[in-house]
Amino acid sequence: MVLKSPLFNIQKGLGAKFTKFAGFEMPIQYSSIKDEHLAVRRSVGLFDVSHMSNVWITGKDADKLISMTTVEDASRIGDGLSQYTAILREDGTVIDDTIFMHLGEKYMIIPNAGMATIVTKWFNDKAKEHNLDAKAEDVSRDFVILAIQGPKSRDTLQKLTDTDLNTVKFFGCQYIDIGGVHCIISHTGYTGELGFELQITPPKEAEDLFYKILDAGKEFNIKPIGLGARDTLRLEKCFILAGNEFEGGRTPLEAIMSWTINWDHAFIGKGALLKQKEQGDYERLTSLECIDKGIPRHGCEIRKDGEKVGVVSSGTLSPCLNRGIAMGYVHPEFRDAGNILEIVVRNKSVKAKVVKAPFVKKDWAQQH
Amino acid sequence: MAEEVRDGLRYTEAHEWLKIQNNIAIIGITDHAQAELTDIVFVELPEIGKEVKKGEELCVVESVKSVSEIYSPISGKVVDVNKKLDDSPEVVNESPYDDGWLVKLEIKDKLEIDSLLDVKLYKQILK
Repeated sequence: MVLKSPLFNIQKGLGAKFTKFAGFEMPIQYSSIKDEHLAVRRSVGLFDVSHMSNVWITGKDADKLISMTTVEDASRIGDGLSQYTAILREDGTVIDDTIFMHLGEKYMIIPNAGMATIVTKWFNDKAKEHNLDAKAEDVSRDFVILAIQGPKSRDTLQKLTDTDLNTVKFFGCQYIDIGGVHCIISHTGYTGELGFELQITPPKEAEDLFYKILDAGKEFNIKPIGLGARDTLRLEKCFILAGNEFEGGRTPLEAIMSWTINWDHAFIGKGALLKQKEQGDYERLTSLECIDKGIPRHGCEIRKDGEKVGVVSSGTLSPCLNRGIAMGYVHPEFRDAGNILEIVVRNKSVKAKVVKAPFVKKDWAQQH
Repeated sequence: MAEEVRDGLRYTEAHEWLKIQNNIAIIGITDHAQAELTDIVFVELPEIGKEVKKGEELCVVESVKSVSEIYSPISGKVVDVNKKLDDSPEVVNESPYDDGWLVKLEIKDKLEIDSLLDVKLYKQILK
């Protein structure tokens, strides 16, 4: 069965082209991936990301359950704050990366598209195993998620609410009335730009709001944005896409997520990570910028002097740099900045340079 | 915006056009194809002198998110390629029937031309 966003008909009316992604039919683009991409970097764009999941974690021990099942110590994350983290198996590999929001007595986690059932079951199984008073409930179909991203995102949304959005700090989250809709807002995103995300229930409430946001952003030439530009925007910032970067089982150390790990608490997978850390000899996610013409894609081989040293997990043409960019896993000896590797694109070797993340720096829009 | 189907050309169901000039066929993709692809960012062209059979891969057109092989609609020898596309692949979007042509083939078998679609048939496919 293919699921559709509750906003499918609105998007169709706006001229969206659709694609199937993780069991959902979602807009891949409206006008052009390049135009949408640049609109977000330079001004503002509106995304429907309802394919992402919503899971409530409730109960007296909700924080303990999150601490045990993620690399974060949830007791550290106060009410009104959210945190990006990873859920691991015992062997240290990532089940999913997610944001959790601390909203009063409850937590909401946002697993990736198609991951709600797996993550909900995992949380409930662990709560039972450890006798915790905590419960996970999949409410994904009850919510629409909108993301408003870009340097003009705050100015756009501010027109629709009396809450001073400057008070919503980076990774802050709270309830808000916006455009006549009571919903959850968080100062988060997947584009590397200033941005906010809204969790809206029931889904019907989002229909009017979608148009209201487009209206409010008119003076900034706001564009509705599809999954195509969402992918190029995140890849330019070296943000991980679960389905690509965790394929085949990867640990947060391999995926260069060690900054998310809070080592001062017990969590599932910690033992395996400590062991891997000690051994040290493991592949790490690496950023490659093409020198030659050619566009690396998921699955392309990475070579050094003709020998295979890794595989591209994500690749695209960077609309900002107008160059092929890729992330892939290679051993530490190959990933010093400036090192030249080859990416095999349709049997042709494309020279690429190891660069420091992100590909596109924070001030790109001011300089271009 | 209505997609252009130009008179005087032959077409394929895969949305390629051919302009036949004596024994040479100029090949490109149609306005419909470029609109479907949007944002063409890379065109991989064949080597001049390469012999291709009908149905073999002739070139590759990439948009930001997709890779599309263009299969040769006829058999022949590559006598010229549109080198301008190396630096300006977006010309295929801007001018699919003129500046955005892809390849010139020396036609090997004139009978293959007869099996191509004419304007009327191609227009029907687009409906």
